[in-house]
Amino acid sequence: MKRRNDHMRADKFAAQRSQPVINPMALEAEPEGRQKRALEMGHTRLMLGAGLFCVAFLVITARLAAVTLLPGEDDAGVARQKIASTGRADVIDRNGVVLATSLTTASLYANPRQITDPDSVAKRLAPILPELNPTATATKLSSDRAFTWLWRNLTPKQQQAVNNLGIPGLYFQYETKRIYPQGNLTAHLVGFTDIDGKGIAGVERSFDDALNGGTRPLQLSIDIRVQHIMHEELSNAIRDFHAIGGAGMVMDVRTGEVLSLVSLPDFDPAQPGAAPADARFNRATLGVFEMGSTFKTFNTAIGLDSGTVSMTGGYDASKPIRIGGFTISDYHGKNRFLTVPEIYAYSSNIGSAKMADDFGTETQQTYLRRFGMLEKSSIELPEVGAPMYPGLKNWKRINTMTIAYGHGIAVSLAQLISGISAVVNGGDMRAPTILKRQPDQIPAGQPVISEQTSINMRALMRTVVQEGTAKKADAPGYLVGCKTGTADKLQGHTYAKNARMAVIVCSFPSNNPRYAVAALVDEPVPNEHSYGYATAGWVAAPVAGALVQRMAPLYGMAPIPDSDPAAQNPLAALVADYDSPNSKKPHSMVTQVKATANGATPATQSKIPVDDQEDVTGPPQNTDPGASIADE
Amino acid sequence: MVLQLHTARGPRKMTIGTKLRNVTWSMVLVICAVASIGFAMLYSAAHGSYDPWMDRQMARFGIGLVMMLAIAMVDLRSLMKIAYPLYAIAFVLLIYVDVAGEIGMGAQRWIDLKVIQLQPSEIMKIALVLALARYFHGFTYEDMKRPMVLIIPTLMALLPTGLVLKQPDLGTALMLTMVGGAIFFVAGVRWWKFAVVFAIAIAGAYFAWNSDLLHDYQKKRVLTFLDPSQDALGAGYHITQSKIALGSGGVFGKGFLQGSQSHLDFLPERQTDFIFTMFAEEFGMVGGVVLVGLYSLLVLYGIVIALRSRSHFGRLLAYGLSANLFLYFFINTAMVMGLIPVVGIPLPLISYGGTAMMTVMIGFGLIISVYVHRDMRLGRRNGDDE
Repeated sequence: MKRRNDHMRADKFAAQRSQPVINPMALEAEPEGRQKRALEMGHTRLMLGAGLFCVAFLVITARLAAVTLLPGEDDAGVARQKIASTGRADVIDRNGVVLATSLTTASLYANPRQITDPDSVAKRLAPILPELNPTATATKLSSDRAFTWLWRNLTPKQQQAVNNLGIPGLYFQYETKRIYPQGNLTAHLVGFTDIDGKGIAGVERSFDDALNGGTRPLQLSIDIRVQHIMHEELSNAIRDFHAIGGAGMVMDVRTGEVLSLVSLPDFDPAQPGAAPADARFNRATLGVFEMGSTFKTFNTAIGLDSGTVSMTGGYDASKPIRIGGFTISDYHGKNRFLTVPEIYAYSSNIGSAKMADDFGTETQQTYLRRFGMLEKSSIELPEVGAPMYPGLKNWKRINTMTIAYGHGIAVSLAQLISGISAVVNGGDMRAPTILKRQPDQIPAGQPVISEQTSINMRALMRTVVQEGTAKKADAPGYLVGCKTGTADKLQGHTYAKNARMAVIVCSFPSNNPRYAVAALVDEPVPNEHSYGYATAGWVAAPVAGALVQRMAPLYGMAPIPDSDPAAQNPLAALVADYDSPNSKKPHSMVTQVKATANGATPATQSKIPVDDQEDVTGPPQNTDPGASIADE
Repeated sequence: MVLQLHTARGPRKMTIGTKLRNVTWSMVLVICAVASIGFAMLYSAAHGSYDPWMDRQMARFGIGLVMMLAIAMVDLRSLMKIAYPLYAIAFVLLIYVDVAGEIGMGAQRWIDLKVIQLQPSEIMKIALVLALARYFHGFTYEDMKRPMVLIIPTLMALLPTGLVLKQPDLGTALMLTMVGGAIFFVAGVRWWKFAVVFAIAIAGAYFAWNSDLLHDYQKKRVLTFLDPSQDALGAGYHITQSKIALGSGGVFGKGFLQGSQSHLDFLPERQTDFIFTMFAEEFGMVGGVVLVGLYSLLVLYGIVIALRSRSHFGRLLAYGLSANLFLYFFINTAMVMGLIPVVGIPLPLISYGGTAMMTVMIGFGLIISVYVHRDMRLGRRNGDDE
C-alpha cells in the first residue's frame, strides 16, 4: 500500500509539474484559494474518517482474536441452557391428562477419523440398530470427514447398548422432540411447534413464552373426554352427510371455560406440514360464518330484555315482508299471527324481523356488542377470526331485520357459544378461556340481559327441543334446550343454492344450565335417512343430543324424570308441534294468554316455573297458562 | 483558461482504452480474491457442493464485474447529471414498496419484477451517496457554516431513512444514516452540529424505545444483544451459536469443509448473514484476520482514491461509497461476533445474495470511475466547466 501511495503522490506532483505555465491559483486567486482550503479541510476530514475506519478494523480484529482464542465465557451457560431446554412445559387438560410434552432423544453420530476399524464397528452396531445397513455404515465410517450421522432418535435401550459397546469415535447428539399424545384430537387446540421448539400454532404459540420459561405444566380447561365425544359425534355427522368439515365447542356457562374445541378436518400435529391448508384451518375460532336462525336467540332476548315485546306478545307473520327490493319470508311458514314462543320455536324470519324492527338498530347494536358479536373472540388462541357485519354507519333498517335471523352478520363459533352462555346463565357475559379457572379466578361477568329474560330464554330454547326444530338434540332427562340454524353459504356475493351451514346451539339442563354446546356442520348433503333434508335439525341436532347423552353422566348429572316439576315447561303446551301437519294452535288460546297476562299484577308475573328447582311451585301444565307465563 | 487546461490534458477525450489502462487493476484483483473466498465458503456451506449457492453466486459476480467495469468508464460529469434523477427514482420506488410492495419475510422491501426482485433500499444506498456528493459539490467550505445549506441534504438523507425504517429494515436505515453522516463529515459540516444531532438521536432512540415505532422483535434483538445468555435458545440463539462456532475454530481453524458447528446446522443463515462465522470456524483467527485485512485494503483503496480526486464530487463519492462498504463489513462482522445486535446485513461479496452484491459492485465501479477521472474538474452547478 505504501508504495502505491507514494506512486500516487508522485503522479500528482508530476501532473502539476507538467503544466508549469498555467497556474490556476495565480489566475483565479480568490475562488481557488477558497477551494484549496476546502480541499485541505476535506483531506483532514478524510484522514480522520480513515482513522476511524482503522480503529473499527482494529476493534474487529481484537474481538475476533478474543472470540476465537479465549475459551468462551458463554459456554457453561449454553450447556446449562441445553439441559433446561428439554423442559418446555407440558400442556395438560383440566384433569391432568397430558396433551403435549417434550422428550429428549439421542441421535448417534461418528467422527470417522477416530474410527480405526470401520467394518468391525458397523458389524457390532448391526444387532442394536437392525435398520442400519452395515455396508453403507462401513463406507460412511471409512470416510475422511470429521462427522457423519449414523441414526436419529434412538430408544434409551438402544442408546445404552451402543454405550456398552464402548467404541471410541461414536457420539450422541441430544435433541428435544415435542410429543402430542392425543394426536389429531387436540391438533387445532394445542397446535404445534417448529423444529426448534418454538410454538407456531394454537396453545403452543399463544403461550409460547410461558411454556418455554415454565417448568409447571400449563393446565387447560379442556376435558379430553368431552373433546373425544365431540370429535367422534361431529365426525359421524360429517361422514353421514358428506360434509366438508365441522366444528364444535362445549363451554361451562358459569365460568366461561371451554371444555371442548374441535375443528374438522384436522391433522397430525407431529406432521403439520403434511396436512392440506384446509385441515389446518380452525373452523371453530378462525372461521366466521353466518349463523342463521341461532341468532334469533339473541334477537328474542333483546326484544324481551328491552321491553318492546313480551312473552305473550307476537307479530303477524301471515305475509312476507318486502323491503328495499328484498323479501323476507318464512321457511315452512304458518301464515298467521305468531306469539313470541311460536316465532322462536317455528323459527319465523318474518316475526323475528318485525321484532327487531320494533326495538330498532341502535338497541340491536348495543346488545350484540355486549354479547360479544361485534368483536373478535378473546379466546387465547392465535387463530381467531374477526366478525363481519355492516359498518355501524351502513347498518340500515334492512340489515337490522336480516341480522335478526342471523343473515348479514358472520361470527365465529367461539363468539356464538360465549353469547349463548350469557343468554342462559342469568345474563352475564364472561370472556371465554381455554385455561382452567380456579373458583377464585372466575370473573364476575358483565350483565347483558336480566335474569328474568335469561329464564324466559331457557324455556324458549327448551320448547324448540320439545316442539320445534331441534327434537333430535334431546337427551332424555337432561332438559336440553336448543336453537338450530341453517344458513346458505355465501359464495362470492351471492348465496349458494346447495351449500349451507347447519348450526346448533344448546344448553343443559334447562332448569339451571351448566353447559353450553355449539356445533356446526359445513356443507352437509342430504342422505337417504334424512328424507332429503340437510337442515340443522337433521344434521347438527343429533351431534348435540348424542354429546349431552354421553357427557352428562361423566359429570355426575342425574337424569331428571319427566314427571319431576323441574322438567316441566309450560311453554311447550302453548306451542304446537312444529312438524305436525295440523299444527294450528287455536288462536283464541293465544289471545286468552295475552289478555290474562296483561291483566295480572306485576307481582304474579315474575317467573315461569322452569327456572330452578326451589322455585317450582307452579301449577300443572295447561290449567292456567296465563298465570304462569310472565311478561317482563 | 481552465477549459484550456482540461483540453490540454484531455480528460474529456480519454478513449476507452486509456480509461481501461487507468482502472485500478490491483483493486479489482483484491475484489476478485474476496469474492473467491465467498465462492469457497458457499461451496462449503452446501456441504461441498456447487449447488445451490456457489454456481449462482459466481454468475452474479461475473455480471457484477462487467457492470463494475462499465460503470468505471462513465465520466464524473455524467454521473453528476444522473445523481438527482437516480435519487428521485429510488425515492419513488421506496414509497412504492411502502404502499404496494411484495411482502417478504414480514417486511415490505422488494418490488417483484418477476425476473428479479428489486430492493429499492439498496438502490437508495448508492443514490443517496451520489445525490449528497452532487449537492455538496456545489458549496464551499464557508457555505457549510450556513445552517440553511444543510437543510436540503439533511432531508435527502432522513426521508429515505424514514421510509426504510417503516418497512421495517433497521439495519439498512442505520446504514443510510451513517453513510449520510460520513459524507456530511467530509463535506465539512462543523463538529458541534454532529454533537447536536447525536444528542437528538439519543433522545429520539429513547422516545422510539418507549413508543410503538420499534417492533417487538427489534426491541428483543437489542435486549438479547445486551445479554444473549438470557435467551440462548430464542433470539439469542444466533449470537450464541455464532460465538461457539468462532471459538471452536481456534487459531488455524478446523479446515475447509470441516466446520462442524456450521455443518451440523447449529449455525443459522450460514450461507448469508453468518458466513463470516463459518469462514472463521474453518480457517480460524488467522483466516479471519486475513479477510479483515482484505476488506481494510479495499476501504483504503477507496479513501486513497478520494484523496486523489481533484473534484469535490469525486472525493465525496469515493469516500461515501467506501464508507458504505466499510459499514457493510463492520456491521456484519461486529454482529456475528456479538459486538452489536443482530441486524440483517450481509457480508459484501461473500454472503449469498444478489442485491447486496450488485450494490457493492456498482459502488466499486463508481469508486474506480472516480480514479479513472481523478483529474477531471467539475463546475459548481451541473458538472460543466466553469
